[in-house]
Amino acid sequence: MKGVNAVSTSIDAPRALGARPAFADVAAEQLDAVYRYLVYLTGDRAAAEDLAAETFEKAFRMWRRFDPRRGSPRTWLCRIARTVAIDWFRAESRRKRREETYARDLGDQTEDAFGDGMSAPIEQALRELSPAEREVVALRVVLELDGPSAARVLGISQTACSTRLSRALQKLEERVGDVRE
Amino acid sequence: MSASDVIGSERMEALLRGDAPRTTGEERRAALLGRLRAAQLRAPETLRARVLAPAPERRPARFRMPSRRLVFVLVPAAAALAVGAALVHGLVGSGGHPVVLRTYQTPAVSSGGAVTGSGVYGPVVVHGAAKAAPFAPLPTVGSTRLQHTAASLEVRVADTDKLSQATTAATRIATSLGGYAQSVVYRTPQAGGGTAFLELRIPAANVKQALARLAALGTLVSQQVSVQDLQHAFAVQSAQIAQLRRSIAALQQALQSPSLPDAQKVLLQIRLAEQKRALAQRLHARTGTVAAGTTSRVSLVLSTKKSVVPAATHRGRIGRMVHSAVGFLALEATVVLYALIVVSPFLLLAGIAWGLNRARRRRDERRLLAA
Repeated sequence: MKGVNAVSTSIDAPRALGARPAFADVAAEQLDAVYRYLVYLTGDRAAAEDLAAETFEKAFRMWRRFDPRRGSPRTWLCRIARTVAIDWFRAESRRKRREETYARDLGDQTEDAFGDGMSAPIEQALRELSPAEREVVALRVVLELDGPSAARVLGISQTACSTRLSRALQKLEERVGDVRE
Repeated sequence: MSASDVIGSERMEALLRGDAPRTTGEERRAALLGRLRAAQLRAPETLRARVLAPAPERRPARFRMPSRRLVFVLVPAAAALAVGAALVHGLVGSGGHPVVLRTYQTPAVSSGGAVTGSGVYGPVVVHGAAKAAPFAPLPTVGSTRLQHTAASLEVRVADTDKLSQATTAATRIATSLGGYAQSVVYRTPQAGGGTAFLELRIPAANVKQALARLAALGTLVSQQVSVQDLQHAFAVQSAQIAQLRRSIAALQQALQSPSLPDAQKVLLQIRLAEQKRALAQRLHARTGTVAAGTTSRVSLVLSTKKSVVPAATHRGRIGRMVHSAVGFLALEATVVLYALIVVSPFLLLAGIAWGLNRARRRRDERRLLAA
């Protein structure tokens, strides 16, 4: 990851030529997106921070296997992030079973987890969604991945992805109400 | 929420792309999407520092090829290796000096030694220049033993007239020695030349004399004699016959007993019938053994052609190399096929285990993320 800060604006130039971008450039460009995705998935900024670091570490090791022809760097990184997050969920689940009481209660958190300046009802409504529903919102709405890319990240069909998104947004609407100005 | 508020997937995609909403429901959905997208969330500086900090110098990563690509490399490499090995085998096996000119067969004769025991004496293949093979004496065999002799002779005669005379003479020789001609096939095609195939049956005692006289009908090209000892088979059959006769006598005596229960009597009668049938079979087989031991089979080929025995195929160095390489490749393919047959059940089990594990992990993931 040496020299990451040196390049931040010329990422699209080599990509347009079909060349493989440098990992440092990709990391600088996609860090916020991956972090947001993990925040949505876990509902926990601290955990998302650790998982994002782990994701980029893993991605750095696997960078040779990245094929730009098979998908965008964002999609590839989100797939790695999802794997890392699922391992975290497993560990949390085991920990939860081991310790009888679950220390972290996501529902009681008051800080803005999903975005600065987001209204409290939306925050609360997002918190009430399942991680699977939140991640599809993150991928399609926040990260603006297209349908096939999001489906590939989630490992489901495009139709299932679309259905899950509709259901999640409908739940949000029901809980938030009309958010029009 | 009314039915009109339900947004189809196509309109949903349009709203995600930023198209203008058409209905009230779409307006609400678009507003929600806008709120979700408007909320800023940047990675904290601590994370940015961790991820984007200069990485420590590390040794160059060892070469790692993706597994899918590895298959595309390994399979052609293995095929190339197999073909290369076959070519090397072909080069080594082709040799430098082909010499086989013609093949003659002479009887396997142990000079002066007695030939005993069972077995067939195979031909001795002699590679060498084409010249007439002399008539060799028959193997010396123990005269007291029962043996089956089978001989085949190839004799060349001058022309079709001689061929006709030799065929008639061969039949007379067989008859005069107490035997007979089982079949005679005589061919004289228009193209010239001719061939006669004779299957003769000669008493074992006269077979030596018959072979000597038949070989004298022309120029002996090749001869092959096999002697099979039948004494052991004869002894075994005789012992079985004696045993069966004793058994039949015992059963007949038992059946005469007045105190024998009816059920037992029926069983003994069935057994007696089986023993009698087995005895008949053994007697028939022994008769065949004796007949084979007392009559020899002689196959005689009389021909006007120069070379009765086809000469060995002449292949060039490249031809022999290719032939050897193809043979080696076939052997490799056989080995691979056997290996696949052995390994495929394990591969199938591994595939099933992998699939089950994958399904279990997916189910686990769904459960974790649905909570």
